[in-house]
Amino acid sequence: MIIKNSIRQLLRMKGRAVLFLVLLLFASGLFSVGRGFWIINQKKTEAYENTFMTVGLVEQKAVAVEKIKEWDPERGDYTMYPRQVYGSYHPVEVLDFEGAGYLSGPEKRVAYGAYLPDYDVYGSEDQIGGGLRLDFILEVTPLEDGVMNHMKAQVNKVWKGTGVREGDIVRICDHYNPEPGMLYADRTYVMSLYDASGNHVEGGLEFCPVDIRSTQVGADGKLLPDEVGDDYFCEEVTEGFWESERSRRWRNWIEVYDYPNHIFPVTGTCDIQLMMPFYTGEAYLVSGREFTEEEYAQGEKVCLIPETFARKRELSVGDQVRLPLLVADHSRSAGINYSIYGGGGYVYLNAEGEPYEVFEDSEYTVVGIYGGTAGEMDEYGMGYQEVVIPSRSVKNSDEDNIVFYSPMRGSTTSFRIENGTIEEYLSKWNRLGIDDIEITFYDKGYTELEANISNMKQISRILIAAGIIMVLLVLGYFSWIFIIRQRERTAVERSLGFRKRHSFLSLFCGIFLVMLLGSAAGCTAGSCLAGRLSDGLGQTVYYDTSFGNSGRALTAAAASQDPAEEVSGSPYPAAFQNMLLVLAAGSMIAGAGIALNLRQEPMKMFGSRKE
Amino acid sequence: MEILRAEHVSYSYQTKYQKVEAVRDVSCSFEQGGFYAIVGESGSGKSTFLSLLAGLDVPSEGTIYVQGQSLGSMDRDAYRLNQASVVYQSFHLFPLLTAQENVMLPMEFKKVKKREAAERAKRLLERVGLEPRILKQFPKMMSGGEQQRVAIARAVAAGGEIILADEPTGNLDSENEKKIVALLKDLAHEDNYTVIVITHNPNVAEETDHVFRMKDGELTQVR
Repeated sequence: MIIKNSIRQLLRMKGRAVLFLVLLLFASGLFSVGRGFWIINQKKTEAYENTFMTVGLVEQKAVAVEKIKEWDPERGDYTMYPRQVYGSYHPVEVLDFEGAGYLSGPEKRVAYGAYLPDYDVYGSEDQIGGGLRLDFILEVTPLEDGVMNHMKAQVNKVWKGTGVREGDIVRICDHYNPEPGMLYADRTYVMSLYDASGNHVEGGLEFCPVDIRSTQVGADGKLLPDEVGDDYFCEEVTEGFWESERSRRWRNWIEVYDYPNHIFPVTGTCDIQLMMPFYTGEAYLVSGREFTEEEYAQGEKVCLIPETFARKRELSVGDQVRLPLLVADHSRSAGINYSIYGGGGYVYLNAEGEPYEVFEDSEYTVVGIYGGTAGEMDEYGMGYQEVVIPSRSVKNSDEDNIVFYSPMRGSTTSFRIENGTIEEYLSKWNRLGIDDIEITFYDKGYTELEANISNMKQISRILIAAGIIMVLLVLGYFSWIFIIRQRERTAVERSLGFRKRHSFLSLFCGIFLVMLLGSAAGCTAGSCLAGRLSDGLGQTVYYDTSFGNSGRALTAAAASQDPAEEVSGSPYPAAFQNMLLVLAAGSMIAGAGIALNLRQEPMKMFGSRKE
Repeated sequence: MEILRAEHVSYSYQTKYQKVEAVRDVSCSFEQGGFYAIVGESGSGKSTFLSLLAGLDVPSEGTIYVQGQSLGSMDRDAYRLNQASVVYQSFHLFPLLTAQENVMLPMEFKKVKKREAAERAKRLLERVGLEPRILKQFPKMMSGGEQQRVAIARAVAAGGEIILADEPTGNLDSENEKKIVALLKDLAHEDNYTVIVITHNPNVAEETDHVFRMKDGELTQVR
């Protein structure tokens, strides 16, 4: 009876009741649009947080550039080339400073060369990347005395190389040397050469020297002294030479000639997302999984292998693969050093002229196989048949097997930080005052998106605030109309014997019904509208997938995936929550108004106290 | 038979500046079927005393007895619903309910069936001298006298035995005043209601059986 009577009385104020309903619907709608935006953008932020990554690539800048000259026999003059000069090499630890907040790294990745003599990386002994090897180890005798400037010589013995036979007449040319050395017709020389046919207008086979001096560097990155000195590519073969100590380096050189055919790259990392091909999506898992946090931390013997490697070696996830690590390149990435055209072109002799020895030989478990382009001779790409391992899985020191060393480069040194913290990181970094290190950040456009989302959140806040104010104003005003101004009604009901709870219900039920209708309709409409507006705005959101250093973009498939595309979801749960919030606010305001009415005794309310 | 009795009833309240003793040591009794007037100047404490008799307020001291039972020990809401009804000078009808609905409301609250309540309301409105056309009219459409009759019908509808009327003719012209006083008198004498009227109008007081005067919170019986 009380509820019916309450509603009946409210509905007899039709105009005000309808106005209340309409205004509450609008206010609830406004609030709901704002909150809907907020929720959607919050979900988008979370989706982006899970998908976007911010990495910093570190490069030590040269302190100076010096000019080096190279003899150009065609012009008869020197050609000048610039070479960057570094003061001293910064260790990667220079990036460890307070408040850096790394999620992973910083790390300077090492491109190891794994040597498996029974695995022919390129398909055959003599071919790399489908073509003949162009380097040779030959014994030759000059046809006449002279300097090595396009001089004719007869091949006495082919130690290594294909396409040259004993008895062939070839030309030897120390092409880039303005003062080539003297050779004599009655002597025999063993030489490390490469086929440079075409250097001269005159035809015929022509060979240029290949320096076989060791490039080994110490752990400090400095070149270790080698007794043979610069530009060592030739030795006179005298009686008993091959049995003497003098031939040791040449015997070793012949021994390691085939190494490049059996060397494939292995890169250690603390987070595969620090390797740009994985970061950009160019390299992607086709089966298995990534490394776990624990595998990274514990340095477990697990690896990711490329599809080519898996196919050629008939490996699948769960299989074991042996990785005997022979050399360590601390200079450049496997992407530039190991290509489909050949790789690992190092001098495999140490500073003492001995072949490097494997410094770590372990069985690794294949946990994942990745696909994507590799071996394109791209510094920021994947090397041909590059195996990826947790950096901590290499337990032994590689200090006796370092073939190259250079300062930190973008392709080898990187770290990962929280999305949206680039400014904060840089402000702290700049305070250190290290000027010769350049850090380039890539966040897949997160900063741009964050700004957009931040703007949307600001709009959400404004809408929510406007909605709340309007809801409160509407509820407050109509509570005044329907409750405070009805306090005499409460007094009469009380004087008729209505209990307080009955008088409460008498006023509350009617207004609650209107609140229920208004908030339900408004919140549902608002939440639906928020979803639609957000979808519409979302289509204009800039989603940058470019990776500037290599001037590439993600593959179309990767670029088209907006991780926040499906975040809108059903608007009804949010609408229901909003409705509950509006109803709660309305109930509190109405309840407070009714409580005020009930606090006054009826006679006092009628003003009879004056009596 | 005594239906209502006040024994040494006092009531005081604190305003912002002072303590006001509105009712001072009042003792009196009211018989069933009696028509009583309490007269006095404005601010003498008459309406406060009426609110104490209606159970709308609680005495600071003393006791009010209803048929021998202390009002303080009773459910005062139930007392007003079942035994005592209040009629006000400004009528205080529910403006959004028709005359008939106003009268039906206390009955419906007491779980009387709607049809029966409507029938009884119709009879009560006839009893207080209102024409049937009034039934569906809202208070705004009625004259002051008609509104007060509806208010009296509503007071009676609750089925109590005591009618407490606070200046019931204060807003009425003399003709309507007479009609309302006659109605209240009839309710007392014919229907055995105990009617207590607060008034400062001597014409009204003259029509009652007993007259009390209230001055500075103190009550004395005049007649």
